[in-house]
Amino acid sequence: MQPNLAPVAEADVSPLLVARGITKTFDRTRALQGADFELREGEVHGLLGANGAGKSTLSKVISGHYTLDSGDLSYRGHEIRLRSTRDALRIGIAIVMQETSLVPDLTVLENIFLPELGRPGRLDYSQLRQRGQEILNDLGQGDSLPFDWEVRRLSSAQKQLVEIAKALGVRAKLLIFDEPTASLSPGEAERLFDIMARLRDTGHGLVFVSHRLEEVFAITDRVTVLREGRTVMNARETASLSQADLIRAMVGAELGAIYERKEAHIQQIDAPVALEVRNLSSTPAVRDVSFSVRKGEILGIGGLVGAGRSETVEAIFGLRPRTGGEVVLNGKSLRGDSPQTSIRAGLGFVAEDRRTQNIVPDLSVKENLLLAHLGAHRGFFCSYASRERKVKELLAGLGMPEDRLMDASMLNFSGGMQQKIIIARWLLLEPKVLILDEPTKGVDIGTRASIYTMLRDIAAQGVALVVVSSDFEELLGLSDRVVVMSDGRTTADLPSAMLDEESLTLLAAPRTSMVRNTEMLNELARAHDGAGFWGLIEGDRLICLNAVASNPALDPGFKAGEARELAATRIPEALRRREPVFVAEPDGERTTLVVPMTSPRGHDLGWVGLSLPTDRPLPAPETIKSRIDTMAATL
Amino acid sequence: MVQETLSRQAPASPIKKIAQRLEVRMLLLALLIAVCLSLLSPYFLTKSNIFNLLDQSVVIGIVAVGMTFVILTGGIDLSVGSVAGLTGIILGLSLQHVPIVPAIGIAVAAGGFIGLISGTLITVFGLAPFVVTLGVMAIGRSLAYIFSGQTAISNIPDGMQAIVYTNVLGIPSNVLFLIVLYLAAWAYLTYTKGGRTIYAVGSNKEAARAAGLNTTFYSILPYVLSGAFAAVAITFSISQLLSADPLMGNGMELDAIAAVVIGGASLFGGRGSMFGTLIGVLIMVMIRNGLNLMGVSPFWQGTAIGTIIILALLVERLVSSRVSR
Repeated sequence: MQPNLAPVAEADVSPLLVARGITKTFDRTRALQGADFELREGEVHGLLGANGAGKSTLSKVISGHYTLDSGDLSYRGHEIRLRSTRDALRIGIAIVMQETSLVPDLTVLENIFLPELGRPGRLDYSQLRQRGQEILNDLGQGDSLPFDWEVRRLSSAQKQLVEIAKALGVRAKLLIFDEPTASLSPGEAERLFDIMARLRDTGHGLVFVSHRLEEVFAITDRVTVLREGRTVMNARETASLSQADLIRAMVGAELGAIYERKEAHIQQIDAPVALEVRNLSSTPAVRDVSFSVRKGEILGIGGLVGAGRSETVEAIFGLRPRTGGEVVLNGKSLRGDSPQTSIRAGLGFVAEDRRTQNIVPDLSVKENLLLAHLGAHRGFFCSYASRERKVKELLAGLGMPEDRLMDASMLNFSGGMQQKIIIARWLLLEPKVLILDEPTKGVDIGTRASIYTMLRDIAAQGVALVVVSSDFEELLGLSDRVVVMSDGRTTADLPSAMLDEESLTLLAAPRTSMVRNTEMLNELARAHDGAGFWGLIEGDRLICLNAVASNPALDPGFKAGEARELAATRIPEALRRREPVFVAEPDGERTTLVVPMTSPRGHDLGWVGLSLPTDRPLPAPETIKSRIDTMAATL
Repeated sequence: MVQETLSRQAPASPIKKIAQRLEVRMLLLALLIAVCLSLLSPYFLTKSNIFNLLDQSVVIGIVAVGMTFVILTGGIDLSVGSVAGLTGIILGLSLQHVPIVPAIGIAVAAGGFIGLISGTLITVFGLAPFVVTLGVMAIGRSLAYIFSGQTAISNIPDGMQAIVYTNVLGIPSNVLFLIVLYLAAWAYLTYTKGGRTIYAVGSNKEAARAAGLNTTFYSILPYVLSGAFAAVAITFSISQLLSADPLMGNGMELDAIAAVVIGGASLFGGRGSMFGTLIGVLIMVMIRNGLNLMGVSPFWQGTAIGTIIILALLVERLVSSRVSR
């Protein structure tokens, strides 16, 4: 490794990597059209942009996955030409992606030193083990990886750590983190940030690709923003920027609020239920899912990557075998043995991956549009003509000229247009319920807004929509109500007006962090014969993340995943005052301590409360508080 | 906004659009080969040789129809040659006991049944088409020898000749059958739900299933057709030779696959057409016929045909990467 381990001073920092005027075209889509980027040693550099802005493409150009069409790339002052990831790794550039470069059947140690396995000669496992341990020690993660486990047994956070260790195993100097927090709980994300800070302090250059703005402010030193394949904000100090500056740069000034809130929808709350899901399971990904959606309502399904959202909707639609539970569509039970029966019953489904699950590349645009018609149709011939009027109507709505319909391939359209055609494929059948899995994945920001408008119009016509999305902002902006999933279970079902991105992140936290929290609450509650809860308080409302009651008489009046007005709970006084002492309720039955929970990096994790009976000596608030802080550090 | 996203891509010119059709390029290749051969051999373009060419196209042409269906779904059927051999023996044996029409019915049903087994193993049990049909190929040939007692069945009733040697409107019946079969197959693939499903299955099976298409049925059907057409093809052979030999159909699968691929079908599925396959069949037959006319030793013909196929596909790959995408 480089000898300059001391933190480098601002003045003499040399650029580690400079990219100038990078262009890259796939088929006919120009993913990058003149992107600039500069990375120094000893910094975390945020690479931002909306979906489809080209940030992933740029990271993959830098890491050698894609060769650039034109532009210059120089690394430590030397012009470089990367033909493969191997080239990039050799000079010290590594990318940490989501689990993709690991071999699930090899052990952790073998994965870390995978590049060594390709070298001639014998492997010295004990030496590798020692080196692996040194790498982990340097990261401050000495004992968090079992070297002999197969990688498939690890959690996403551990797999990521293996990726990082693997990069350091080849002495990488430049590390790219592509959306590293997408499948992590808030606590795991913080641990990752600690690791990133250590790497920065030892002189590594880090690229942090993300669209979560809080994280960008939490960890990055400078920020570069891409829009439509161009650099629109080049290497600005993060400290000099506001969230609004970044949004403006990402979206472009002309697009202000792409999610216009609609009030009209609230009144439709008593429309008939269109789709009801009861205790659905499809092992192993889906364990216990229940929700319902009404006519004309947009229901969002949120959660982290790997929470089982896609699997849930696939099981509803019949693409995945169910192992239990029931789905009722318009009052009739839906068997879900094949997509065909679901479609004929009035269900539509836009699957997550456009390329592999929706587009049939060898059929014309017209036939792609009519594909679900073909599936629903009974008869020997295609009967395309029977849908002609509806097709014309839809095309007019999409703003697509009719002659493009005869285009030989959908792949020549932009991601946004492809997605609109896929949605139109289902509208053609006039479904009663339409499920959309990640409807704006890989869609540029301009087209996203028009897809949102399209979806709202569909809902306004009385169709019930279920939208699965990892983009919490989208979820909140689009849906009337949000169901949160974690580890294959529905954990909350709340009106979106009550939620924000932070509370969603906490609600979506993986079960592992919830288990630790439940353990702590249980211990506290049992030790003092009381009841405990963990929740978020916003204004005069509480969203409960977790609640346990060892003493049933002290039940606070809300359960996990529920939202309550503070006054409607059984502990209004304590919740209102939130002082670091036990607060007795006016009825005298209980007294409650409500303390804030913060992560070691100062991140707000909500409030933890402990209600105890009044007829007993109370523990010192400080000891309770320290218990909570210890737990918060492990979340 | 929409205008903007559309204008981000370059439009395709009309000439390019035509050149993008592989069948068009292969038709040009077929014409080129025809011109070359007629220059090399004055006999090539005579009426009798043209009829000869068409006659030689029938058997391989019929097998290629089933093969096109299979390859369109992204599969492959290596067993057609031995299924043809086996069903030929079944036909020969049946003819000893029942009249011509039911005998042919039995042979075709047997071919279809073998295809049903292969298709089910491939689609329902998820086995690789290559391996399943390779196994069926070995079994079929072995059963053909066992059923025939290792010798040719030569006492085929003369009535069978009517299948080949009847002229309708001046066209031999076997050629007419081929033409009608190709038209029917083309119409099926183009205008029916089943035909479009076969394309969709080969292009993106997952998307086809998610759109509600019956992908299981239409993944199996092509193998059934392929087996049945192998039996139909061998029926024409036997009616010409008046003999059923357990060796019949040997190597037929390679000719059929080559014809389909030369006709522009993708071995990954989803791409190909009956018109293309017809041209592929004609190219194969023309080359073989031309080499015969020029007196090239049969031992060298394999080398010549193989080289021409590989060259044609190589050129095609280079051209297509320039005109499409």
